[in-house]
Amino acid sequence: MNFKGTLPTLILEALAAEPSYGYRIAQGIKERSQGVLDFKEGTLYPALHKLENEGQVESYETVENGRSRRCYRITKAGRAVLAKDRAKWRELSRAVTMILGEA
Amino acid sequence: MTALEQWLMRATRCLSQESRTKVRSEILDHYGASRDEAIGSGATLQEAEATALRALGEPAEANRLYRQSLLTSSEARLLREGNWEVRAICSRPVLRWLVLALPVAVFLAGIIALFCRSNNLAAELLLVSFCFSVLLHGPFLPIYTPLRSRIYRGFKWAALSAIFLMAAWSSGWSGSWLSLGCLWTVGWIEWRRISIRRKLPISRWPRQLHF
Repeated sequence: MNFKGTLPTLILEALAAEPSYGYRIAQGIKERSQGVLDFKEGTLYPALHKLENEGQVESYETVENGRSRRCYRITKAGRAVLAKDRAKWRELSRAVTMILGEA
Repeated sequence: MTALEQWLMRATRCLSQESRTKVRSEILDHYGASRDEAIGSGATLQEAEATALRALGEPAEANRLYRQSLLTSSEARLLREGNWEVRAICSRPVLRWLVLALPVAVFLAGIIALFCRSNNLAAELLLVSFCFSVLLHGPFLPIYTPLRSRIYRGFKWAALSAIFLMAAWSSGWSGSWLSLGCLWTVGWIEWRRISIRRKLPISRWPRQLHF
C-alpha cells in the first residue's frame, strides 16, 4: 500500500517505545501493520538520515551478537513532532471516515 | 561484481565519499540481517540473498532519496573548497587589515561628503560602506549560532539587493543584466548552501555555512 509521506511518522512511532536499528524498525512497521504497509527497505535509511538531520532522532554505535550496529533513538523534539503528527492523523482519519462512512 | 555491489553502486551514485561509506555500511548490515532471517526460516542461501535484495527495492529510488538527505560529491567539494577566499584573507595580516579598513574608509568618505553638502554622493558612499561592511566583516564576527547566522544572512541579502538596485539605478537599468549575471553565481552558491544546511545537523556545520 502507498503511504507516501507517513514513513517518518511511522519510524518515530517505532522508536518511541525503545531505541532500535534499521532492519528491526522496518520489520516492526511491517508486523504492526500486518503486512499492509510493505515498503521498500532501501527507502528507510534516507528517511532516518533526514530525521537525524532535523534533530528528531539521534544515532549511536552499538555491538549486538558481535556485530557493530548503528542504533537510533527518538529525541525530545522527535516526541513533540510525533505527538503533533498523531493529532493530525486522528483529525484527518475522522474527517475521511465522516465522508466515506464506517466500513 | 555481485548483485548487491551493483545495487550499492547505483544507490550511491553522485554521493560524497563519506556518504557512500555510511550508506554502504548500513545497507550491508541491513542486507546481512535480512538474509540471516530468511535462512533461519528455511530458505537456501541463494533464495535468502535474492529475498534480501528484493526487499531493498529499486536502487534508483534509494539514490534519489539519499541525494535529498546526504551530501553529494559536488556539495562536499563546495564545503571543502568554498571558503578559500576567507582563509586566504584571514591568514594574511595585511589583507585582513585592508578588508577591515575598506568599509571604514568609505564610511569616513561618506561623512566628509555629507559635510561638503554633496548629499547624493554621501548617501551612495554610506550605502556602499554598509554593504562592504556586511559582506567583508562577516568572517570576523562571532557568528556561530543558528539565530545569529540567520540574522547575518538577512543583512547579507539586504546588502546584495542594495548593491544590485544601486548599480541598476545609476545606469538607468540598462546594465542590470550585467549585475544580474554577477549575482547569479552568488545566488547559485547560496542555493547549494541552503541544500547543505538541510543535510547537516547544526552541530556539524562548518563556520562558512553560518554566512
